[in-house]
Amino acid sequence: MLALENLGKTYPNGVRAIEGMNFAVDPGEIVAVIGGSGCGKSTLLRAISGLDTPTQGRVLLDGETITSPHEKIGIVFQEPRLLPWLTVADNVAFGLNDLPVSRRRHRAAGALSRVGLIEKRNVWPRELSGGQAQRVAIARALVPQPEVLLLDEPFSALDAFTRVDLQDHLLDLWTDLRPMMILVTHDVDEAIALADRIIVMRSRPGRIFEEIAADLQRPRDRHSAAFDHVKARVLNALDRSLVGERVPEKAAVEHPGAGAAMWW
Amino acid sequence: MTVVSVEAAVEPATVKPVARKSDLARFARPMLGLLVPLVLAGGWELAVYLGFSNGRLVPPPSRIYAEFAELARSGELSRHVTATLLRVGAGFAAGTVVATVLGALAGYSTLVRRLIDPSLQGLRAVPSIAWIPLFILWLGIFETSKVALIAVGVFFPIYLGVMGAVLSVDRKIVEVGRVFRLSGPAMVRRILLPAILPAYVLALRSGLGLGWMFVIAAEFMGASEGLGYLLIDGQQLGKPAEIVAALLAFAVLGKTTDWIVALVAAPFLRWEDRFSRQGET
Repeated sequence: MLALENLGKTYPNGVRAIEGMNFAVDPGEIVAVIGGSGCGKSTLLRAISGLDTPTQGRVLLDGETITSPHEKIGIVFQEPRLLPWLTVADNVAFGLNDLPVSRRRHRAAGALSRVGLIEKRNVWPRELSGGQAQRVAIARALVPQPEVLLLDEPFSALDAFTRVDLQDHLLDLWTDLRPMMILVTHDVDEAIALADRIIVMRSRPGRIFEEIAADLQRPRDRHSAAFDHVKARVLNALDRSLVGERVPEKAAVEHPGAGAAMWW
Repeated sequence: MTVVSVEAAVEPATVKPVARKSDLARFARPMLGLLVPLVLAGGWELAVYLGFSNGRLVPPPSRIYAEFAELARSGELSRHVTATLLRVGAGFAAGTVVATVLGALAGYSTLVRRLIDPSLQGLRAVPSIAWIPLFILWLGIFETSKVALIAVGVFFPIYLGVMGAVLSVDRKIVEVGRVFRLSGPAMVRRILLPAILPAYVLALRSGLGLGWMFVIAAEFMGASEGLGYLLIDGQQLGKPAEIVAALLAFAVLGKTTDWIVALVAAPFLRWEDRFSRQGET
C-alpha cells in the first residue's frame, strides 16, 4: 500500500506547492489526480517518486519511507524522455542494469511486443512518432515490474485520437501486473476512463479538495450515462475548487484547508 | 591533387543515406566545388605558358607541382610534415586532456566553476600568440615551448565546449538516470558522456583547427624543420613555389586530421537527429 502522510512541499523561494496531503492507494488501485494548472499535481508526483524531497510529512510504500527514487516505483513523464543515443530496445532495457545481457534483451523484447512496437526495437527514438515514443516510455517504466506506476500527464502532448488509444492501451498493460497507478492529468475524460478514484486538487497551496469514486465497470464506455454522471460531479468539484467554495459533497475530504486565501 | 581523393573518400559515407538520385547528380555536386579552382589554375597556367607573365612571384600549377614532387622525392617533405604533425599531435593531446578534465569539472561542479572559470576566461582574453615570449623564456626555444603554445591554443575551445556541454545536459534526461537509481559513475558513463559527445566532437574539431593555426606561429618563432620552417625558408630564399607547396600540405593535413576525428566519432553519433538527415527515415 502507498500512503501519503501530511505531505507538503515548500520551495526554497517560499512558494507552498502542496500542503497537508493525505491519501492512500490500495494495491491494484488506479487513482487520478486532477486540478487546474499550478495546483501542485506534478510536485505531488515528484515527491511520491522520490525525485524531490518533501518539506513536510512523508510517503510510505509498504511501510517504507520513500526518500529517493525507489526500484518499486516507476514513472512516466509528460515527455517520453527516451535517451536519443540508445535504440528503442536499449531504452526499454535501461532500468534492468543488474540483469545479464541476454535476460535484459529478452525482457525488453517482451515489453516491446506488449506495447506493439517489437518491429521498432532497433531504430533510434528520433524515428518514432509521439505516441510510439510514449509507448516506449511506458514499456521502459513497466519492464522492471514496479509496484507503483506514476504518470505525469503522460498523454497531454498527444492528439485526441492517439490519447484515447493509449489510455486503452495503458489499461490493457495494467492488467498484466496490476500495479498501483497514480495518474496526474488535467483531462477529466482521461481521469474517469482510467481511475477507480479521482482526487480533485485545489491550488495555492495544493491540497485535496475532494475525492470522487469512479466505480464504473471496466471496460468503460466513454458515452454511457454513468460516465457522464461521474464527469458532471468531477467538473462540478473542479468548478468549486477554482472558485474556492468550501462545500464538500462528502465527508471524504480529510483536510479542508480552510482559511487559505484564494488567488482569484 | 590529394585533396580530391580525400573528398572522394568522404562523400560515399555522408551522402549514402540520401535516396539514390542519378549518379550524375551524385558526382556532379562535388565536382562543382572544384570548378572555380580548376578554372583559375588552368587560366593562370595558360597565361604563364603564353608569356603574359613570367610566373616568378605567382608560380603556375605546373611549377608548384614540380616543387612538391621534388620535396617529396628528396624526403624533405616527409621530414617537415612529420615534425609539424608531431608538434600538433603532442600539443593537441596535452591541450585536450587538460581542457577535458577542467571543462568537465567546471561544468559538473558549481564550486569548481566559480573557482577556476573567471581566471581561465581572463587568460582566454590574452591572444595565445602573446604567450610566445614568456614560453621561450620559460621553456626554451626548442620543442617544449612550441608544444605548450599549441596546447594553449587547443585548450580554450575544448574547455569551453566541454563545460558548456556538461552545463546544458538536459535535466529531464538526468532525471531518467535518477529514476533508475544510477550511481555517480554510471550516471557519467550512461547519461552525461553520451549526452555531451556531439558537442565534444565539435569542440575537438575546432581545437584541432586552432592547433594547426598555432603550429605555424610556433614554427615561425624559430624552427629548423616543419612546414612553418618551410614557409619562412621559401620567403627568405624567394621560392614562392615552396611556400605554396607548404600551404597545400597544410590544407591536406588539416582537412585529413579533421576528417579522421569526424570519422572516428561518426559511429558514436549515428543517433543524432540532424537537419541533414531529414530525408533518411
